[in-house]
Amino acid sequence: MKNIFLILLFSNILFSSCKKEVLKQTIYDNVYYEVTPVTLYTSNAEKNKQKSSLQYISILFSDLFNQSIPGSDLNNIGEAIVSIGDKGLANQLILERLLTVPAIQIPTATQMQADLDGFISSAYQRFYLRNPTEYEKIYLKNLIQNDSNITPEIVYAAFALSNEYMFY
Amino acid sequence: MKRRSFIKKASIATAGTFLAPYILPSGRLFAAAGDRVVNHVVLVLFAGGVRHQESVDQAYLTYQGANSGNVMRNMFTGAAPSSNLLYTPWNPIQGSSLASQGTFFKELQYAQGPTGHFNGHTAAITGNYTDTGTNLAINPDFPTVFEYYRKHNDPAKSAINSWWLSEGLGPYPALNYSKHGMYGPMYGANYLRPFSTFGNIGLDYLNNGLTLQPDDVGRLNTLKNFFDSNFDKSVSDLPGIINNSTDKEFIHAFLKDVLNRTQNGTVEFPLPNGVPTYEMTGDLINIQYTWEVLKNFHPELTVINTFNLDTCHSDFTGYINLMHKADYGVGWLWNKIQSDPVLQNDTIMICLPDHGRNELPNNIYDANGLRAFDHTTDANSRRVFALIVGPAGKVNQNLVLGSAGNPVGQTIDIVPTIAHILGFYDQIPSGMLPGQILTQAFI
Repeated sequence: MKNIFLILLFSNILFSSCKKEVLKQTIYDNVYYEVTPVTLYTSNAEKNKQKSSLQYISILFSDLFNQSIPGSDLNNIGEAIVSIGDKGLANQLILERLLTVPAIQIPTATQMQADLDGFISSAYQRFYLRNPTEYEKIYLKNLIQNDSNITPEIVYAAFALSNEYMFY
Repeated sequence: MKRRSFIKKASIATAGTFLAPYILPSGRLFAAAGDRVVNHVVLVLFAGGVRHQESVDQAYLTYQGANSGNVMRNMFTGAAPSSNLLYTPWNPIQGSSLASQGTFFKELQYAQGPTGHFNGHTAAITGNYTDTGTNLAINPDFPTVFEYYRKHNDPAKSAINSWWLSEGLGPYPALNYSKHGMYGPMYGANYLRPFSTFGNIGLDYLNNGLTLQPDDVGRLNTLKNFFDSNFDKSVSDLPGIINNSTDKEFIHAFLKDVLNRTQNGTVEFPLPNGVPTYEMTGDLINIQYTWEVLKNFHPELTVINTFNLDTCHSDFTGYINLMHKADYGVGWLWNKIQSDPVLQNDTIMICLPDHGRNELPNNIYDANGLRAFDHTTDANSRRVFALIVGPAGKVNQNLVLGSAGNPVGQTIDIVPTIAHILGFYDQIPSGMLPGQILTQAFI
């Protein structure tokens, strides 16, 4: 009986010590930008699968409009993508179109400038599902502060066309 | 010593293993690019299944118990039907038929594989027959003509120099590159399906997007480069071809411009004067936007298809109508090519069906009581033709070759012929292309 207890205890220690602990942080309602609750990555190293074209479009639509893409829109956009051989180019054209749809959830330039830290954190959470590193925060803040012609649309477009956004 | 000798021999054998596939038919390891006949080729796959009887033979309604006549007067020489017209005739746009402006291979053979549209397209574009019958929506096994062209030209050509435009979707977008290990998407062609790209879907989802000024593009790229520098993966394995950044900008601007002009109604229509735009067909739309690609990029290799003739499965009247219109479109395209200072007298156009149609009708009658025809791999459905049209002095003019029962080539000869025209045939590794160059066409 004592031996069995020891074996169970040893096994418990052995297997629990081998279990990789993945830290995930859940953010509930960012009130300012009305982002829905999401589970964030702790680092972009966790992203190793590339999105398919339809995944990319569905997620992009959700990120820009804070709602799921209607089925008819998904089918039509899917056809538009298939009709162009260079998928990166097709994605770019669709993104540019979506950025002009009135229902888009995007802060104004004034709102962005008024709270740059909040804008940057929110954009990272929205597009990359993670928080920016301190380096990323400082670099991006300086970049935006030093160039008043950088608009939220340009920042969002850069996020959506970046390599990291193509992965999950 | 033995060990050294073994290593030496093993090294030679290993090198041989790697190099052998690259030894050229000429016996040379590397070869300079060959002489070109011209610098631009446009291959029109006059597809959808074209019966020899109503096209080359100009039988019109002969096999329906009535009169004969030529409904393709831009491509072939011959008088139009004088009665029982199933279509509103459009006067030919060509002063003399295309057959008289080049070499007309009246009888070629689609020799192997099922007479399916994808098989026919694949054989014409890869130069190899295929038996693929299921799981069509995948890239072909053998390299496409685009990949041979891009890989074996010296200097190498970027994708903006080669285009594939299809009338429909389905499996056809997959024909711009193969899954062959030595070729693949890095040598693929740009692809468009104009009916989607510039049709209602394109106008709704691709047009009127955010327009960035050049300075803004710079800002976007600065931001994107920063984001990419903090991520260790890239999207190089996106399905499809990837243009280099310069070409991508050109094509991006082209697409936006053509979308705008489509919305404004200022894209030229391949229609006779006075014919309303509702007469446009899918085939004519593909030809219309092919001209936009040709005049903007002057690509060296362009392949397009028409496809509407497949209505012949159930509608013979529609088949004749669409054949007449597609013929007009081909004539219109050749006229446009001859109006362009870069392309004129430096372009060869090749027209070839994907395959034929059966000799005997199926059980369907159309609204005019005319019999319909399928394509189920009978001998008649293997009969095809080829028109090779080009400048006098380069292409034999007004030459007709082959006759019923006497084919003078095959579908798989088209890729070697294009490779010959563009001067890279000798660079293609031996064994890749079983077909022959249709040398009779060239002076």
